[in-house]
Amino acid sequence: MTTNTNDELAQIFEGWSSTVGKPTLKDNARMTTRGVDVFYGEKQAIFGVDLDIGKNEVLAMIGPSGCGKSTFLRTLNRMNDTIDICRVKGDIHLDGDNIYDKKMDVVNLRARVGMVFQKPNPFPKSIYDNVAYGPRIHGLVTRKAELDEIVETALQKASIWNEVKDRLDQPATGLSGGQQQRLCIARTIAVSPEVILMDEPCSALDPIATARIEELIAELSENFTIAIVTHSMQQAARVSSRTAYFHLGRLVEVGATDKIFTAPEHRLTEDYITGRFG
Amino acid sequence: MTNQLNAIERLAEVKQERMQKNLKARYAKEKRFQVYGIMSICLGMAFLAMLLGTIFYGGASSFMTSEIKLTINYDPDVIGVTDLTDEDELKWADWRGLLSTSLAERFPEVSGRSAVRQRNALVSSIAEYSLRDRLLANPEKLGTSEEIWIVADDEIDAVMKGQVDRTVPESERRITDLQLSLIDSLEAEGEIRQKFNTTFFTAGDSREPEQAGIRGAMIGSFYTLLVTLLLSFPIGVAAAIYLEEFAPQNRLTEVIEVNINNLAAVPSIVFGLLGLAVFINVFHLPRSAPVVGGLVLTLMTLPTIIISSRSAIKAVPPSIREAALGLGASKMQMVMHHVLPLAMPGMLTGTIIGMAQALGETAPLLMIGMVAFIADIPGGPLDPATVLPVQVYLWSDLPERAFVAKTSGAIMVLLGFLAIMNLLAVYLRKKFEKTW
Repeated sequence: MTTNTNDELAQIFEGWSSTVGKPTLKDNARMTTRGVDVFYGEKQAIFGVDLDIGKNEVLAMIGPSGCGKSTFLRTLNRMNDTIDICRVKGDIHLDGDNIYDKKMDVVNLRARVGMVFQKPNPFPKSIYDNVAYGPRIHGLVTRKAELDEIVETALQKASIWNEVKDRLDQPATGLSGGQQQRLCIARTIAVSPEVILMDEPCSALDPIATARIEELIAELSENFTIAIVTHSMQQAARVSSRTAYFHLGRLVEVGATDKIFTAPEHRLTEDYITGRFG
Repeated sequence: MTNQLNAIERLAEVKQERMQKNLKARYAKEKRFQVYGIMSICLGMAFLAMLLGTIFYGGASSFMTSEIKLTINYDPDVIGVTDLTDEDELKWADWRGLLSTSLAERFPEVSGRSAVRQRNALVSSIAEYSLRDRLLANPEKLGTSEEIWIVADDEIDAVMKGQVDRTVPESERRITDLQLSLIDSLEAEGEIRQKFNTTFFTAGDSREPEQAGIRGAMIGSFYTLLVTLLLSFPIGVAAAIYLEEFAPQNRLTEVIEVNINNLAAVPSIVFGLLGLAVFINVFHLPRSAPVVGGLVLTLMTLPTIIISSRSAIKAVPPSIREAALGLGASKMQMVMHHVLPLAMPGMLTGTIIGMAQALGETAPLLMIGMVAFIADIPGGPLDPATVLPVQVYLWSDLPERAFVAKTSGAIMVLLGFLAIMNLLAVYLRKKFEKTW
């Protein structure tokens, strides 16, 4: 079998009707998206995506570069709002609330759907202040002791407490890349979000730091719903329970991770996971 | 195989030889470039040294002044005043008489109208007022006498500083042979001395060089810059934040951006004319006042501050903004908590550079009347005042020789302030700078 040319892909998507597998869940869905289209100006980046993210599951989104998986992820907490030319169509619900509704406050939404970015981006402040920032701006705590407890718990859950407990007042920028990323995760969970979005959280990290983050993702899934975009198929296979494969802005196939990696139904998925392109 | 070599193989044979030649040329080029660089730096340094050298050489003498020791007898008969609290009597008091009597006692041998006039011209023509102030402050001195140092006339001061050529004929000097002999006798007795010129820093402007100081101009500059800073920093920073973070990207903001860049290049005198037309003629703000000067300089400084603040804001990494927004910070919180602190060093640097420009600005202030001769030290931003660079301009125009030195002295003070402001900029940048 040869690599697909663009013409062939266009043919495949010509009669595009629906995603292979089970994109929607009967119950137990935390976030649901129906018919989501995303446009950058005139150019359409996402085509009619229906996808559910279940409670306490880790959903991995994979696909070749430019397939729209990061764009899709960023529609889930409206981070695309910051881009002037970006428009989103379709329904996205979080626990039954339409997040693109006029009544939905974006500040409130982002406190419910946290995000961890590709590059560790701690604030140039102390470790403590980084974690305390979210609870502070949302007015979640009334006493210093309460805040101390939240910071400690968040750092423990991000399994970085032991490394930083003696230097909470030191600048966060002095930490190593892997520590910074775990600090960013602690910062995200300190506001107790329902969903955590991770946009290639390990792509700037070495293998050891990556392994620690992956362990952490498994632990966090006990309390949080996680959607992770990743370039690494091995990572998707290791951390996720469900995997969604994106191609050229379409959600091609969704299914249990085991099944996607062992018996993909769609030809494109198979080509991708067997390394024919991507 | 053919025994014809292909291009790459042929190249391999001559490669080393050619490369050696090429390398030599490359290194020579590099060296030449370095020499050009060093030469241009040396040239620049030489011109700077020349500039500073002439200013310091010419200005150093303005920091010294000459004084003559005289025995002053506060004789009520000479002054013509018996009651120091009587305003009417004070109006007619002869303070000059105190000095001329004292000089007559010191040099009894001088006689004749012309000679007496030359003798009296030894001391500053307005030294009598310091005597008046001294007596009014200590009324018990009336009727007593004391030895005090009286400021010498600027021509006498020039002799003391060795600026007068005694060999030229008397008719071509501003100082007579008689005066020279009197100075020599004073010097022999140790009754004339040079000391640090505190008047230069404590007095306002004056027509008499020995009494002229730059305090008025310093205070005027201070009030003008204060008004400029208080207005231009908040307005400039707010405009930069709005344009960078909140304004939609459309035709209007593009037009605004182009216009701000254009304003930065508008000749400053145009701002002066604008200030005259708007602040003085329409709003009737006082003429010659630092508040109007500050307003005009604000208009002039704003583009500098806005442009530098915008680039400082642009330099804040987008990842920091994303982090704040991702946690649910509002746009305002993102700006206030993260963007502003990180952009602050750049903003402050731009502001201080703008302030330094404003400190050295002359032309727009001429337009709003800050070029007037003002002897009083301004007590507030609404009082008439002048500023340091305008003072330099005013003094450079005066004929008395002593004002030449004063001009350079004022330039030195101005340069001192500029150096302090630039050091402050470096300090603030270091203090607020954070790495990420």
